[in-house]
Formats: sequence, structure tokens, C-alpha cells
Amino acid sequence: MKLLDVEIAENKMIANGIYLLSFESEYLANAFKPGNFVNILVEKDSIYPLLRRPFSISFVKENKVFIGYKVVGRGTQILSQKKKGDTINVLGPLGNSFLVDRFDGKVAVVGGGVGIFPLLSLCHELKKARNEVDVFLGFRSRSDLFFVEEFKEVSDNLFISTDDGSIGYKGNAVEVFKTKIEEENYKVAFSCGPKPMLSALKSLNLTFKCYISLEEKMACGIGACLCCSIKGKDGNMLHVCSDGPVFDIMEVEI
Amino acid sequence: MLEVEISGVKLKNPIIAASGTFGFGREFSRLIDLNLFGGISTKGITLKKRAGNPQPRLCEVYGGIINSVGLENPGVEAFIKEELPFLRRFDTKIIANINGFNKEEFIELAKILSPFVDMIEVNLSCPNVKEGGMIFGKDPNRVYEITREVKKVSSCPIIVKLTPNVTDITELAKAAEKAGADAISLINTISAMAIDIETRRPLIKMVTGGLSGPAIKPIAVRMVYECFQKVNIPIIGMGGIMNYKDAIEFFLAGATAIQIGTVNFVNPNAVSEIKEGIENYLKDHGFESVKDLVGNIII
Repeated sequence: MKLLDVEIAENKMIANGIYLLSFESEYLANAFKPGNFVNILVEKDSIYPLLRRPFSISFVKENKVFIGYKVVGRGTQILSQKKKGDTINVLGPLGNSFLVDRFDGKVAVVGGGVGIFPLLSLCHELKKARNEVDVFLGFRSRSDLFFVEEFKEVSDNLFISTDDGSIGYKGNAVEVFKTKIEEENYKVAFSCGPKPMLSALKSLNLTFKCYISLEEKMACGIGACLCCSIKGKDGNMLHVCSDGPVFDIMEVEI
Repeated sequence: MLEVEISGVKLKNPIIAASGTFGFGREFSRLIDLNLFGGISTKGITLKKRAGNPQPRLCEVYGGIINSVGLENPGVEAFIKEELPFLRRFDTKIIANINGFNKEEFIELAKILSPFVDMIEVNLSCPNVKEGGMIFGKDPNRVYEITREVKKVSSCPIIVKLTPNVTDITELAKAAEKAGADAISLINTISAMAIDIETRRPLIKMVTGGLSGPAIKPIAVRMVYECFQKVNIPIIGMGGIMNYKDAIEFFLAGATAIQIGTVNFVNPNAVSEIKEGIENYLKDHGFESVKDLVGNIII
């Protein structure tokens, strides 16, 4: 990991309140593995927001790093106003990554809302490792859709669902995934999304491995502040930033 | 120019990593050179391993952060076995921050740790635990009693870390000095609270937590200044130091050394920037050493 001052190449709205930001960094593009995240200082010498903000790296293309985010508070609002050529300070790559292998059978990828972001490069790598990949993406509504074309390119089957049924299946991504479990022989599942979604996934008691990417408020992003601690199954404390963000769903309390 | 001394312990520079913000150094060592620090105050150590408080433990407020980590740590045995050998590799003084839930635990920890570290920081000020911590630290009699007992069993200098959550912090400073403390460090975080107005729930699971960051700096400077008038032992000042200018304020108010905490999260390079800034300030203002700045405020 390194501290880098980078110049924003592009920062555009791709859906309702959802942005995609990119910058050039040969180091990050090479060091990156799917699941990694970065800690971005959106404004130097700012006292509000004060802390860096963690964002997953969505994908890299040549030397360009792409970060997707949703405007939820002051930090992301300031970030959304940044223009091409503005400088931001980035700490990364941080955290562990998804296990990518050639699995002997189908692979399922389940994403909800902004949890979809880190899954795009994962799918890309899963396909590169010659897996058959089914992707389940859940959005609130038609106007919230993003990355659909991109996921089509890196999946064998793409299932879209919306909470209001305005496009695709009515319901969430886990419900759709559940209907496919019996007919498909999945060997492994990967997921990222809001906590209730992950909790629903856990309650399915899958017979195969399921890896999830978690999010928690954090200050340092490197394992020093212990603000992002979560409980492991044996009561041990795990840290989302340094032990994760990717965990075996059975190893953590959700 | 930058060297300072605290009860015979020479710090090559006056910048110490503040407890609770720096783990046991290992994490930051991947990013910065730990040799840059004059000292490192460890994550608070307890006798037994502790899981800490439930989530959420952190929220951001205007000019600062509120945390309620609750002393999550691996316990003293694991610290000595697994963390200390790593820290020892660096040319920086090691300060063990200790936390007891009764007097006996403080004594036990000091006995165990003092042969291994350069100094002990007795944390009588953690706001995020139900027993010990700030509960002891608010009462000058308890501060006196615990400091005196810890001092008796320690083979290294003792720093007593004070809480700002009192009417008059100088009463605690005087109690610590009277009991034989070699130095005091102040301030720990200020008890604070924030509420999400949409959910109407507190933003910290434990409802209240400790506020750190730039918002608390003027309070910390005032408290260092007040204590400097009342005690003759060295003061280690901290609270919202973000740059060298903040550090200079603390020296002028009466601090012999400073600790930096929250800034490490925002700018891991802060230590080298502050070090360089202090050096330049000394040169530009014709001072020969940091010692010349201590308490050198003009009223």
C-alpha cells in the first residue's frame, strides 16, 4: 500500500446519485486484486469531513483505476463535485481480496445496491479463470440501474431484480438467487451488498462456500484504530479493514 | 535541537504516537518509518484479552470523531510475546499504556511490563469502559492512590494520563505529582454524543463516546497551560494536533512533549511533517531547542 496524490481523470454520474470516478495510477492498477479498497482523503486540510473515506475499487483498465460510489453524506457529496484534473489523496490498495480460482462447477455472484461495485472485477477474473458465472444484481428501481452492460460481458447469465419491480424480477437479488440454487449446482458464491441482504444470504444455510465483502465505519483503514471490528463465529474480533473486507459468510456474525 | 527528556528517558524528538490510534505500530510500519517517532504509546493494554464495545464504534462530527472502541486488545501476555519484539526493532521509546479495572490490576500490569518498556502510561482516563478508566481518573484520591501503588512496583518512569471530563484537571495533575508520577499526559478524549435525527438513534452504540480531533484542541491547550502552572513534572500534551503549528501551541502552553492521534488516520505522514515544521520554527524564531519553547508563552 502507498499514499498517492492522483489526478482525477473522470467523475461522472452513472445512475441516480451513483458516480464513477477514475484516475491514472500504474502502481494501484498493478497491485489491485478484486475486493481491495482504498481510503480517499476527499479534501486536504478539511475538518469536516475529517477522516478519509473507504471505497472499493470497482475495476481497473490499463493504468486507470475506477471507483464507484453513492452520494450518502458530506464526504461523498464533496467527492461528487470534483472535476477532471482535481487532486485527491489515495491510500491503497487495502484489505484482502476475493478468492479467484477455477471452481469445478458454476459460480454465483450476488450483489445489491453499491455492493455491486467490487463484484465487476471479480466477475472479470472469474471468467478469466474459465468459470461459468451467474450474476444476480438487485436495485431499488429502474432509475438506479448501473453496470448492466458491463456485467453482461463478464457473466453467463445475468438476473436483474428491483424492489419495486420496475425492471426485472420484483424482489431482491437473494430471493432470485434462492430460486436458482436447486436447479444449478453452484460450487461457490460471492456477495456484497447491504447488511439485511447478506443476513438473508446467510440464513439460506448454503451447502457451498460463500464469500462476502463487508463494510463498517473505519478511521485508519489499516488495522490500527480498531473501529471496524466485528465478531467472528468464535467470539474473536475481526477487523473489516485488515482481516477483510472479504470473509467466509460462516466465519462472521452478521 | 529536538531532543527532550522525561524523567531520565531521552526522546530523540518530542513527538509520540498517541495510544489507541496506532495499534502496536505494526500496521503503520507498512506505510511510514516508525523511527520518525520519539516514542510510541501502545494501544491500551489490559491483563486479559478484551473484545471491546459493539458496533458502531465510530462517528464523525464537525471537527472531530467520536469513538467507543472500549479497549479491545490481546492482553498483556500476547503483547509481550507477539508485539513487543516487533516494536523493539525500532529506534523509538516504547510507552506501554495500561488499563486496570481495579487497583490490583494496575499494579499487576506495571509489575509485569515495567522491565520491558521505557515508560508506562497509566490510563486513568478511558471514557469507554464501565469500570476503571475515567471513573478512577475523575477522583483525585483514586489518582493519588493508584499512582502511588503503581510507582512502588515500577522499575521505569510512570506517566499518568488524565481525563478532561472534570471540573478542574489541575486537581488530578497535583494528585498524580504528589503520588510520585514522573510525568502526566493530557488530555484523553472528551465525553461526547451525536444523534442521527432521521433514525433518532445515537450514532455510537454505547450512546456516548470520546471526542478527539481539531475540535478539542483549544480545550487541551488550556488544560496543559493550567496544569503547567500547578505542577513541576513534565507534561505530555495532546488533543487535536493536526500540524506543527498546533504542536508549537502545546509547547508554549507548557508541554515538554506531544502526542499525535487522530491525525494519523487522516495523514499518516503527519509525524514527519510536524517534525520538520517544529525544526523550521525553532530555526526561524532563534530557539536552540524545543526545551526553550516549553511554557514560553507571553501573557
